[in-house]
Amino acid sequence: MTTAVAPVDRPVAADRPDRPVWWLVFRQELEELWVGGKALNLLILFGILISITAFLLATNNELSLTPPRSMIVVMIHTAMTFGLFIGLVIASESISGERERATLEPLLLAPAGRRQIVFGKFLAALSPWPIAYLYTVPYVITLAQGDLALWPAVAWGAVLGTMTTVAFTGLGMLVSLWSTSSRTSLFVGLLIYILAQLPPQLPGEFLTSPAGALVQALDPLEAVRQFLIQGFIEVKVVDQLWPLLYAPIVVTLAILAVLFLYAAPRLGLEGGSGRSVARASGGSEG
Amino acid sequence: MHPADRGVDRTAGGPILVAHDIHRSYGTRRALRSLSFTLASGRVLGFLGPNGAGKTTAIRVLTTVLQPTSGRFEVDGIGSEEPIRIRRRIGVLPEGLGFPRHTSGVEYLTYFGQLYGRRQADARAAARGLLDTVGMSARGDSLIETYSHGMRQRLGIARALINDPRVVFLDEPTLGLDPRGQQDLLAMIKGIARERDTGVVLSSHLLSEIEGICDDVVIMNQGQIVAKGSVDEVLGQAGASGPIDRTVRVRVPADRVDAAAAAIDAMPDANVSERDPRGWLSVQVDAGEGSDVDAARNRVLEALIAAGLPILGFEVAGGRLQDVFLQLTAEAIA
Repeated sequence: MTTAVAPVDRPVAADRPDRPVWWLVFRQELEELWVGGKALNLLILFGILISITAFLLATNNELSLTPPRSMIVVMIHTAMTFGLFIGLVIASESISGERERATLEPLLLAPAGRRQIVFGKFLAALSPWPIAYLYTVPYVITLAQGDLALWPAVAWGAVLGTMTTVAFTGLGMLVSLWSTSSRTSLFVGLLIYILAQLPPQLPGEFLTSPAGALVQALDPLEAVRQFLIQGFIEVKVVDQLWPLLYAPIVVTLAILAVLFLYAAPRLGLEGGSGRSVARASGGSEG
Repeated sequence: MHPADRGVDRTAGGPILVAHDIHRSYGTRRALRSLSFTLASGRVLGFLGPNGAGKTTAIRVLTTVLQPTSGRFEVDGIGSEEPIRIRRRIGVLPEGLGFPRHTSGVEYLTYFGQLYGRRQADARAAARGLLDTVGMSARGDSLIETYSHGMRQRLGIARALINDPRVVFLDEPTLGLDPRGQQDLLAMIKGIARERDTGVVLSSHLLSEIEGICDDVVIMNQGQIVAKGSVDEVLGQAGASGPIDRTVRVRVPADRVDAAAAAIDAMPDANVSERDPRGWLSVQVDAGEGSDVDAARNRVLEALIAAGLPILGFEVAGGRLQDVFLQLTAEAIA
């Protein structure tokens, strides 16, 4: 080992990095996710599930059991359901996993705002979604069999899928910020995912009641499913469909607000209530 | 650069880290009590203490990862109320630091260089320079997952230097390294302090190693300082507070231990308190007040020589940091 240390002219580190911190963190996270293989593994799983779904729909279609429009809606909704799962899983582990691997502390020691660190990780957790959705499109085209609803449905699917993925990825980040163990945060993330799948399974009588309507409206995944069904199968006009999106939009914005305005500046070495955030008076950590 | 940063007046050898009465509690448990000390630039401060003494908590507070419950500190003239400005001036090797697996050493250091405000090309050049400094230039492009523990520690030190810090905190840097690795790392740390005029806070259990490179020492126990000052001052404090410098250890051939013990026990002002099969004898000299301890030690040696016994080793207990550490931490517990 070379023990001589060259004297250096030492400027103090600059106030602002050459690139924004969130961009540097995002790029680093992307590398870990994609080169490390985690995102790729989840996408392979996604591909298998989408292929099975498409095969089952095509088989049904040969028996004339499912019309093309229904297949378009089912495929797009399936892509959303599995796509947001990828975001949720990656986000749930993004911070708690770093705590576990002892890689968070150096990041907290950098002269960077906590919010920017969380934003970079959040964007990286969203990164598999567009690829997953693009992967789904050829299946939808094949199953649509030239139906005119194809491209509007694909476009709405991209918008609604992005919204739900943002919401669930945000929830995953919140869980990860709170948790010290990646196993705990993944378990809670999975629980959230299962709960989001519940409304369609509830008894029909409950779903038609005001409480059922509220549950469906507050569950972004169920709300967008209803939007797609009523918009492309029942062919309602957009003006009638907008109210279905009010609650999911509010829920998504609320999650983002809690994440970036409340939780992210409190990012610390410990999760839960044992916060170790070095927030200076003046809130310079954000 | 922050406008206020330009005006910081730094005098070589001046105080670079000053802690004022820092307390830190976790709920009702008080992890740090009244931590106050000063570190000058270009000096190495050893942070010593048994497990749970509060060393890591102290380092986390001083590196802004934890907030003090009360008290404050200054790094290079910047108060603890401005953690982001302090982080620009410090480098830290945390205990048990983890690394990303799928990144090379150069990429890892470049990433942190950019986080500290360097441009990419500049950060990459600094990364290569630091890898050379820590003796890893040949492996800089290899993935970190292929590095040994010692190489990871060296990479961690390089990361701590990426922003040319005024103060470097190293929490147990030699943990898990082989003796050669420990020696090399400690020599490098001394070089960092001297040649970069950087203050170094070094937490370690390797007391004999620390004694060789530290200028100052803070000994902690149960969250509070039990001794501080230069190494000589701390050794002096311990000597003044207890009888440990009245014990000497002498080594004779293993088969002559009984003869040596008899020669010493025949003296009026010395007696053998311990002996081991390898030939070491612990001798208590001059238990009386006001007598010349140095002369009494010499008489022990003279008695052994007069008895025709070869002296293979001799040391004064309490003359080592380890003895002081054991004495002070035991006193604090008692």
